[in-house]
Amino acid sequence: MHSSPHILKDFDNSISALKREVLTMAANTRHNLERAIRALLERDSELANSVIADDDEVDEAERVIDQLGMEILLKYHPMATDLRLVVSSMKISMNLERISDHATNIAKRAKKIMSSQELNDITLIEPLYTLADQLLRDSISSFSDGNGALGASLHARDKELDRMHKDTTAHYASRIEETTGRCQEYLHLIFIVRSLERVGDLSSNIGEDAVYLEHAKDLRHTSKSERSEI
Amino acid sequence: MGEEKNIAIDVRSVDFCYGKSRAIKDVTMEIARNQVTAFIGPSGCGKSTLLRCFNRMNDFIPGAKVTKGTIKMDGMEIHDPQVDGVELRRRVGMVFQKSNPFPRTIFENVAYGPRILGEKNKATLAAIVEKALRGAALWEEVKDRLNDSAYSLSGGQQQRLCIARTCAVDPSVILMDEPCSALDPIATARVEELIHDLKKDYTIVIVTHNMQQAARVSDRTAFFYIGELIEYDSTAKMFSNPSVKQTEGYITGRFG
Repeated sequence: MHSSPHILKDFDNSISALKREVLTMAANTRHNLERAIRALLERDSELANSVIADDDEVDEAERVIDQLGMEILLKYHPMATDLRLVVSSMKISMNLERISDHATNIAKRAKKIMSSQELNDITLIEPLYTLADQLLRDSISSFSDGNGALGASLHARDKELDRMHKDTTAHYASRIEETTGRCQEYLHLIFIVRSLERVGDLSSNIGEDAVYLEHAKDLRHTSKSERSEI
Repeated sequence: MGEEKNIAIDVRSVDFCYGKSRAIKDVTMEIARNQVTAFIGPSGCGKSTLLRCFNRMNDFIPGAKVTKGTIKMDGMEIHDPQVDGVELRRRVGMVFQKSNPFPRTIFENVAYGPRILGEKNKATLAAIVEKALRGAALWEEVKDRLNDSAYSLSGGQQQRLCIARTCAVDPSVILMDEPCSALDPIATARVEELIHDLKKDYTIVIVTHNMQQAARVSDRTAFFYIGELIEYDSTAKMFSNPSVKQTEGYITGRFG
């Protein structure tokens, strides 16, 4: 990206504000997901409640980012990297909002699971979360550091999460058949695994937005070889 | 051969000097037929000078000349002694920043060129004037007042009258030097819409300081800086992802 300042200082201020909002929103989203999983594993209903309540902040951030983006389009008619920054920021905020929604869903299901006896194989969620969080963290870094190669790598790394999702879902599904009276909890876990798998997909989208910002390339629905060119 | 047919203006290694000052430095570019090509760049970058080279308007400035390279129009070198400057300027029309109608009627402004070229038949002249005014999207507005002074028209209408006057002599190329800089947004939109229509029949080269205008009206954009052609590419590419850092700096408002 271009690093020298604009002649118009107000334009620079708006661009900085937009970036700052996206990074704050990303930090809050990641924090929500982390707390949702902790609430699930540590059976902490208060923590789950605060995740559900804090989703409003992320929703508000999405609105603010759209507003800032629209203002920049309206006032400064941005071109090239500036235009791509506005477009990718607005798209990234949409993906972050959806990730935070998944964190909320996990927190809600965590509360339901907590009301019954603890399941030993709940810990199978941990490695999925670890990978999903890594993907999310790297997607944000690819945007903030202008690292297109990192952004482009997420799609392939998300495949591992897809595989884990499949295996873990199969495990929980078999437990539904094998055990009696725990069907509800296992179904909740299957949905939580599904949410984490979606976090991987959405992080991969953010990585693609970062690639668009850096290289003006649209990686959506492209082949492996096109991605490896980044 | 097919490729060559699509090039209206072929500029090769052109240097242009005002006395000792080199205003254009080794510029090579091909301007495609029936497309709109925009020239952008900060003041003094040579874009207007190059535009004026295309119809040898710079011939009128003492000490100013192309010192190196060639400019071919439809395959013919425009500085060739066989090329008549007046005939060249018929084929390469020009529209200026400020509309400059002649102090005559609307009709006479458009009929002026064809008359000079020898057209005397009144019916033919009337047909040419109507066709040119229709082409410039002005006919409906002026058809009942063709004998009014051209100065009775608004600024935007005067500019479109000048475009009609250019079209009346059947050029192949129309050069526009900031044609909308003195117009309000509505008149600008009308001229831009007209540019869109005109490219079916003409090759258009437009100099503009308005980046959004270049993005809206042109197919290809050339960025000039201190006499050099820095980057020349499709307009979509130039404004979304220019290859050269200087272009990026200019179009994003970081220098200039």
